[in-house]
Amino acid sequence: MRKNESGHASVVMVVLRLLCFLLFAGAFIPALNPARLSELIGENVSLFTCALSYSSIASEFTRALQRGWVEKSAISTAYTGAVLAALGIAGSMGVFCVSLGKLKMKRLSAAIGIGAGVLGLSSTAVLLNAASMFTNSPNPDRIDPMMPVGVWVFAAVFAVQIILCVIALMFLPKPTAEDRYEIEARYRLFLMMLPFLALVLIFSYLPLWGWRVSLFDYRPGFKLSMDSFVGLKWLRYLFDNAATRADIMRVLRNTFAISGIGIATSWLPMAFAIFLSEMRSNGAKRFVQTLTTIPNFISWVLVYSVAFAIFSTEGFLNWLLTSVGIIEAGTNYLMNGSHIWLKMWAWGTWKGLGWGAIIYIAGISGIDQQLYEAATVDGAGRFQKMWHITVPGLLSTFFVLLLLSISNILSNGMDQYLVFHNPINKDSIQVLDLYVYQLGLGAGGGSTSNISLATLVGMLKSIISVTLLFGANKVSKWLRGESIV
Amino acid sequence: MAKTEKYKGTHFKPSAGDRVFSVLNGTFFALFTLVCIFPIYYLFINTISDNSLVASGQVNLYPRGIHFNNYVKLLNVNDLATSVFVTLGRTVLGTASMVLASAFVGYLVTQKKMFARTFIYRAIIVTMYFNAGLIPWYLNMSMLGLTNNFMGYVIPAIISPFNIILVKTYIESIPAELEESAFIDGAGYFTVFRALMLPLSKPILATIAVFGAVGHWNSFTDSIILMGSEPKLYTLQHRLYIYLTSSSNLGKLMEGGSTLTASMVESVLNNRVISLTVSMITIVPILLVYPYMQRYFQKGIMMGAVKG
Repeated sequence: MRKNESGHASVVMVVLRLLCFLLFAGAFIPALNPARLSELIGENVSLFTCALSYSSIASEFTRALQRGWVEKSAISTAYTGAVLAALGIAGSMGVFCVSLGKLKMKRLSAAIGIGAGVLGLSSTAVLLNAASMFTNSPNPDRIDPMMPVGVWVFAAVFAVQIILCVIALMFLPKPTAEDRYEIEARYRLFLMMLPFLALVLIFSYLPLWGWRVSLFDYRPGFKLSMDSFVGLKWLRYLFDNAATRADIMRVLRNTFAISGIGIATSWLPMAFAIFLSEMRSNGAKRFVQTLTTIPNFISWVLVYSVAFAIFSTEGFLNWLLTSVGIIEAGTNYLMNGSHIWLKMWAWGTWKGLGWGAIIYIAGISGIDQQLYEAATVDGAGRFQKMWHITVPGLLSTFFVLLLLSISNILSNGMDQYLVFHNPINKDSIQVLDLYVYQLGLGAGGGSTSNISLATLVGMLKSIISVTLLFGANKVSKWLRGESIV
Repeated sequence: MAKTEKYKGTHFKPSAGDRVFSVLNGTFFALFTLVCIFPIYYLFINTISDNSLVASGQVNLYPRGIHFNNYVKLLNVNDLATSVFVTLGRTVLGTASMVLASAFVGYLVTQKKMFARTFIYRAIIVTMYFNAGLIPWYLNMSMLGLTNNFMGYVIPAIISPFNIILVKTYIESIPAELEESAFIDGAGYFTVFRALMLPLSKPILATIAVFGAVGHWNSFTDSIILMGSEPKLYTLQHRLYIYLTSSSNLGKLMEGGSTLTASMVESVLNNRVISLTVSMITIVPILLVYPYMQRYFQKGIMMGAVKG
């Protein structure tokens, strides 16, 4: 009998935890913000933000307060409601955690759950009070009072939570003398992990929710409503609109060209490492390795600063060439739009060659020295040893890096191209990452920006990239029997 | 490597071809090293030379008219001090929180008892290879109120999957008996982490700390994307980027033969000197930690190649 009862109780507990999680997630969804009692409160503000900062609610009311359209107390009441709701949600998160414990903890969690639910319902009352203060404003047209759906959603969830907690208390058996307040190790570890898991969810998985923007006609500062829902319009636009299609073709050409040059020269770090290891003096080797790695640690802005110092009209190169007598007057090489792909590759190589070689240098020191000795005895020369022993020894590392760079073919990164781009080279420097940035956020989000289209392009890029990565992984498994990711 | 050297040296006399090869090889590496290092030297001599000579491009191989006023003058450049402060702040806070989080998460994922351990670990690692894209990330950050907010630099960078892998791999190489005996002695997970794992994994934590710090110090795209309307929060690199683009734009006007007012010419000169000097002060901290970092390169890279 008792066993059966705890069976019911565990089902209730699972549902309760689910509710608590939903409450937690709801706090981050702006559309469900119960504190948005007026259109003046930003539609991108979630309950979480509201409860954290008073100004997120009050910022747009400065004028309304001055003109007496709304009482200050209405705003502070709304804020109090937001804080109470957030506290209720925090309590529910406590329920989630404590309910993972043993019997006594479970009972405790149900008790907390009732408290949190009451707190949540009281927040509903406070918010309703604030809402009536907004509606009773002398000039409602100016402050656009509204009744957010979130108020009712949260009230309903809190009410259900109270009911579930009461049921759980009824079903959970009375604790005996041996029961203690404790949590099993597996759940204790899980709870320790939970805050970090939440960070991962919020910063790496929650953005996926933003993909919905690609189905809307998004204008910054306006609401995503069914009015602006356009379905696959932007996908069709991508292929039907001649100007956009031309842009995309140009951008893809740049992306593939720059990535392609990178892939075609991806053996350079390996060659660098092999030839470096042929140097006699260990001191010289370390010297070269130390100094050639430095550029990897300076940012692209600084690389641009270096480029600016060396290649501008007053720069070093012009001085060198004029003093040798090759040219007569200096020019600004950065304002020259030719061979941009090669120049970008050259900067990338300047910055990354020494660094890229380190992994191969480590690889070379891992090759069995007896192989070299045996080869020498067999009369192999320096180049034969390099080609027949060192290169094969490094090939598997090379192969993994090659596959990774092929699967990254669409991702050149943005930093380098952002700092080097200018009106003269923009046609050949705009790679996909830069294009997405400029299309969506460039020009300060002005009239030329198109967030929806930029989201769509970025989304397609992500999907293709991950497909390529899995493809590369398959190839690697098939050829070497080892996966790369 | 050392063995081969000895071997080559003792048993065979280098042939003529060998010698030619060595000379060519050495020359190449000498040149490439020079190409890597000369620009930094060039920046440096330009910041300590006479400013009018610098502006006309006459300081090329050695400093002329040495003075250090430019560095003193930077103190008076608006907003630069705040930028230094913001950048230092994010570097310290961001690195500390990232290292602690990586250490703790790296330790937790080695605990086989954890509920849903494999799933959680994979969910974290997958984010290294897959992301929603720039715009959804930006919209998310603005939804969370992290745009134009200093915490926007720190909080998203707390979780770093790659560093978590590094720590996890390192902790797995620590003999399990140590941990077991601590548990037998009645230590809890926090105690084992604090008193055992944290001190034992110091080398790898130092590695990720220096790399994390350099990353924070060097980053500027997040400043450009997130802090658009809050110039007080611009990082040093963002500031430098602004100086560089404005001096490049003014320089272009000059070349185009547009008539410039004296103040514009003055600001071109000023900008060139300022951006050179700011460049130096952003490079110097990196050069200072560089010898320390170098000890960890190989370790960090090789461990990254080991997947967990």
